[in-house]
Amino acid sequence: MGDQPVRVMVVDDHPMWRDAVERDLAAAGFEVVAVASTGREALARCPAARPDVVVLDLQIPEPNGVEVTRAIAVEGGPRVLILSASGEQGDVLEAVKAGATGYLVKSASRAELVDAVGKVAAGAAVYTAGLAGLVLGEFRRMETSAEPAAEDNVLTPRETEILRMVAKGLSSTQIAERLVLSHRTVQNHTQNTLRKLQLHNRVELTRYAIEKGLE
Amino acid sequence: MSRVLFWLRLVVTANMVGFAAVRWETIQRPVAAVVVLTLLVCWSGFVSWAYADDRRRTSGLLVADLAVAVGSLVATPWLKGDHFGATIPGFWVMTVVLVWAAYRGARGGLVAAVAIAAADLGIRWPHITESNYGNVFLLLIGGPLLGRLASALKDLARQRDQAQREAALAEERARLARAVHDGVLQVLALVQRRGPELGGDGVDLGRLAGEQESRLRAMLHAGSQTTVVGSGVADLGAGISALATRATPVVEVSVPGTAVLLSASAVDELLGAVNACLDNVARHVGESATAWVLLEDLEDSVVVTVRDEGPGIAVGRLQRAAEQGRIGVAGSIVGRLRDLGGTATLSTGVHGTEWELDVPRVVS
Repeated sequence: MGDQPVRVMVVDDHPMWRDAVERDLAAAGFEVVAVASTGREALARCPAARPDVVVLDLQIPEPNGVEVTRAIAVEGGPRVLILSASGEQGDVLEAVKAGATGYLVKSASRAELVDAVGKVAAGAAVYTAGLAGLVLGEFRRMETSAEPAAEDNVLTPRETEILRMVAKGLSSTQIAERLVLSHRTVQNHTQNTLRKLQLHNRVELTRYAIEKGLE
Repeated sequence: MSRVLFWLRLVVTANMVGFAAVRWETIQRPVAAVVVLTLLVCWSGFVSWAYADDRRRTSGLLVADLAVAVGSLVATPWLKGDHFGATIPGFWVMTVVLVWAAYRGARGGLVAAVAIAAADLGIRWPHITESNYGNVFLLLIGGPLLGRLASALKDLARQRDQAQREAALAEERARLARAVHDGVLQVLALVQRRGPELGGDGVDLGRLAGEQESRLRAMLHAGSQTTVVGSGVADLGAGISALATRATPVVEVSVPGTAVLLSASAVDELLGAVNACLDNVARHVGESATAWVLLEDLEDSVVVTVRDEGPGIAVGRLQRAAEQGRIGVAGSIVGRLRDLGGTATLSTGVHGTEWELDVPRVVS
């Protein structure tokens, strides 16, 4: 990315919120290249705006945040940070499986938001304790399901250990300290957990498509 | 129900009058018979009206209906002489049995059938024909059987009504949740973020808004799930999620996306232990301290972790408390887990305190 400022698009149907987020990000040195208030607008504006990061609310007018994530979080596309007031766990998990790189609740502080956008832009995963619990549960569900995940799609013991710590509310700095690892290594591990989850999701979708005789 | 019985009574009343007219030569006291038949027709009209409303359908009315039927049977030998074939009311008496069955269930059907059967056999005694016996037998079988069916139908209708009511309630709650999410939660979250930047009272304002926001969110989330799933089984996940509504300490909850089903009593005990851990955090770390609760479903066991970042529990403090006869932590956490066949592991130090509550899943 070099000296270029990180390009951000903000999608939220509440003008008050959109403005607040836009202001905060601009003040922190990000370049807000586009805003959108519906899923349709987001999909229409994204290609031309070429954002590095899309800050996305899950509950927006059709198509919803999960579908928007699925459409834009593709190889070479922008990274998606979910910023949602939603306690709807299912939606959060679906968005992450669809390719979102991070999740933050709307009540997070301005510093947390700025930090999260920076991390997501750099390709790092942004977890809340709540999301880590969901992802842990999802991996365990996959392990015990009728069609278990491929070997390289299950969590290593270290990854599970780190994910548990995130789920218990420890910051990556605290985790690095406790496990005597570098901050970078902890970040790599958490990022891997998301990558595996998304990979498994794609494999499942493909398997489903083949079973149904689709392209 | 009362409509069906109305039409039935109309048919059997017409049959009674028609039959009496066709076989008028069998009647020995014509004037009295006309009076009795007129009374029965009027009574039929009256009870059909009376049964149509719940409030008029009293036990007194049912007993009077049965008494009229028995009375008309008993009057038959006097009206038709000792050697009669059909009684004056004839099949009319069956509506009384059906009414009792419909409104008083199997037992009511049996009581009315026995009364009618006894009266019918009594007036014919000792000349009981095979067809008399057959009619009585059918009446005794039919009364209780239809009563049972009627109660089953009523139960079904009640269950359907309740299910519809619950579905409507859930829908309303979901609608409210969406509305609240879109408005109130957003504003609360915004106040929480903007408050501290205003300085002074804004800091407190932001903190209060944040607390309310997370509580409201947890409440909506918990409300969207059915806590009691079936007979004696409950979702621990919903119970743990609801902990975020606690006033003190501030609780951050992390649960899997799918329901964690345990016996309802185990869920109660486990939540009791977790609440005891959280009470401890509020007491020893501070009311505005944050505690993290993680729920994991490991298939053959369920693990709940409660963590805080307080000063930790001094070595031997719990031991001393137990020795001094205070139940406290030992009883409410360790004891509860022991009763569930699980373990409560405490790790404490400068990082804070962490309770790991591990409960094996009993194979059912």
